[in-house]
Amino acid sequence: MKTAELIAPFVDAYENPARQVEQWKAMHGGRVVGFLMTDVPEELIHAAGFFPYGITGGNKGLDKADAHLQTWVCSYVRSCFALAVDGRLDYLEGLIVPQTCDTTRMLLDLWNHVRPLPYMEDYRLPRQVGRGSARKYLLNELERMKEGLERFAGHSITTDNLKKSIMLYNHNRQLMRKLFDMHAKNPSLIGNRNLYTVVNGAMVMPRERVNELLVKIVDQLQESLNIAEEDKYLRLVLSGTLLTPLEILDLIDNWGGVVIGDDFQNGYRYIEADVTPEGDPVAALADRQLNRIPSAAYDIEQKPRRVFLTNLAKEKKAHGVIFVHLNFCEPENFDYYDNLTALQKAGFPAIRIESQFGQSTLGQMQTRLQAFLEMIGGEGS
Amino acid sequence: MTTKNVFKSADLMKEMMANYYKAGKAARSKGIPVAWVTAVFPVEIIYAAGLFPYYPENFGAVAGAKKVADQLSSAAEARGYARDLCAYARCGIGDVYAAEHPVGEILAPDLLFCCNTQCGSLPKWFEVASRFYNAPYFLLDSPRVGIETDELCKSYVIEQLHEMVSFIEKLTGHTFDYEKLSEVLAFSNEACRLWNEILDTAALKPAPFGFFDACFHMAPIVTMRGTVEAVNYYRALKEELDERIERGITAIPEERYKIYFDHIPCWPKLRWFSDQFASRRALVAVSQYTHSWAYSFDLARPMESLAENYSHEFVNRCFEYRVKRKINFMQKYGVDGFVLFSNRSCKPNAIGLYAKAKLIREKTGLPGIVFEADMSDLRFFSEAQVLIKLEQFFEQLA
Repeated sequence: MKTAELIAPFVDAYENPARQVEQWKAMHGGRVVGFLMTDVPEELIHAAGFFPYGITGGNKGLDKADAHLQTWVCSYVRSCFALAVDGRLDYLEGLIVPQTCDTTRMLLDLWNHVRPLPYMEDYRLPRQVGRGSARKYLLNELERMKEGLERFAGHSITTDNLKKSIMLYNHNRQLMRKLFDMHAKNPSLIGNRNLYTVVNGAMVMPRERVNELLVKIVDQLQESLNIAEEDKYLRLVLSGTLLTPLEILDLIDNWGGVVIGDDFQNGYRYIEADVTPEGDPVAALADRQLNRIPSAAYDIEQKPRRVFLTNLAKEKKAHGVIFVHLNFCEPENFDYYDNLTALQKAGFPAIRIESQFGQSTLGQMQTRLQAFLEMIGGEGS
Repeated sequence: MTTKNVFKSADLMKEMMANYYKAGKAARSKGIPVAWVTAVFPVEIIYAAGLFPYYPENFGAVAGAKKVADQLSSAAEARGYARDLCAYARCGIGDVYAAEHPVGEILAPDLLFCCNTQCGSLPKWFEVASRFYNAPYFLLDSPRVGIETDELCKSYVIEQLHEMVSFIEKLTGHTFDYEKLSEVLAFSNEACRLWNEILDTAALKPAPFGFFDACFHMAPIVTMRGTVEAVNYYRALKEELDERIERGITAIPEERYKIYFDHIPCWPKLRWFSDQFASRRALVAVSQYTHSWAYSFDLARPMESLAENYSHEFVNRCFEYRVKRKINFMQKYGVDGFVLFSNRSCKPNAIGLYAKAKLIREKTGLPGIVFEADMSDLRFFSEAQVLIKLEQFFEQLA
């Protein structure tokens, strides 16, 4: 079976997320709790019996948000809100917004005002993660989230159920990491675009189904794995809040590049760390959150992002780093200059591509990206 | 409008602020560490610890008022900082790279403290500065609060205040003096009480004092609350206001309307806005912005009380709370309409503002508009567009 056939269900899910929900509802009759990407404990939502549904944004009709969100508000949030205003998220019964920036901090109340849902919750993440107080607070905040979900579900989330959900998600992350690993070794096997389509498509699919598919994919691809071509590709680290549009990856595919590391919320950061299945599951969820790959949303003194990125580039022997930055993403932009400087000091060429949901600026991106890849040694196809 | 008499206290404030900046410059040579802090931050702890608190936001506001925000920002923009970031931050970051310093050089910190009740821009700016100056940084993290007192948030902030005290003790080598904190808190209480009495005179009809006066006189309550100087200053200002009330001196001639304004003023256009309103005989009487410094501390439980006051500040509250608070101010000051500033530098205030305006119009029946601009950067100010909005508004008032 060819890769394209194997990953077809993920492409379909990414392009038609509503269909996933309709099918799931038809089969299970349950309720769907949406979340904004991706610092949300999906395991809790799942253990409560709901379908955790990642809202991956949209590229059309962002003007539907204009009456409420200024044009200088982050396009991811604008696009999600526009979907809601337009009635295209009507299948959600609940929504969790992780407070990772000023925009997400203000969003849920506005959403509730315009399109109220039966269950709506702000997940108030601690923004400093290095001191003792952060863990203690996060444990309490997770308990609060758990109680809220239990109230909405009408039953409690048992430790057993939560552990089962944790194992399900761990299995999923392990399979995804396996794919990333195979991709780094054998770039032509899966392809950059396909790899990230799997991650993003999975966000709107029931996790059980994702794992079923991934087991098959990993098995089949394993058979044709050929590590001989590892050195023929331009090894790239990508960095940013959210990777969009995925067409960027087509350009990289066409230019003989392989993404061997990233820190996107809809990329490797989403699946990087498992939750310890032993002990108190809520504490395990907290620990996972506090130890995630650094992002601009948190002050991480112990693991500064610029050090993380530099180490990643070194460890993966990157030829270059591409920042893909969402316009109007304040936290990301504040980090940029220091990240860039650190990478340049360590000898890694880097470029920033600015992107947004809704408006395709692919032509311009292509020109800049091409020039960058040529500079660092790409040959193109 | 330049018809009103200048406040006598204005000279006193200029002198006080000049002394404050002088003290800041001299601090390091006297062995007093310079601590960057944010406007809504328990500065009382900083004063009690004998550190010199410096407010980089103030630097951004002054750069805005002097109409040089774009000039300073361009040095930051040249390094990839986007024009869309908070203008205060762009001014502060730009100044360290700029060849010229039109508002003087921003004071370099020995350590940095930031509370994120106001926004997420400040912590990111302070992180950048902490790296640039290679100075230790402490983030006092406050989750957002709803309508009611939030015990979870409160206990988290209390614990962090203790962590902060340890952080200071470790850096200074001195044991923190809680008695000194009590003294400082008492000064803060008194300055806040006086400041709010002063703001309340804007409810008189006609009033001797309005929002634009408050913008001028607020520097000490922001930077020096917790000191006896701030108390003395607001006592003098209050006396002067009482005298003005007696003598019938008003903030604007022939006041006819009172207006509610949100939030931070547009600093480079302060006079322009003030004139626009005054020429229509409209006094901008109240804004939640100048009412931010309305703290009341319980000296018997200082840390708890600091946590309550700073984490439960309006800017860290939910949509519903903030709508209620605006309406309460409108009612208390008897306003005839409201003007809301969608400030692209301040997302926590600007996001949701259109929905809030609609809701307030429905609930109160008052006319009100929202206009778009930036608090410091004139590149985002279109006089023609703002004038159209204001004209619409004034027509509804009449």
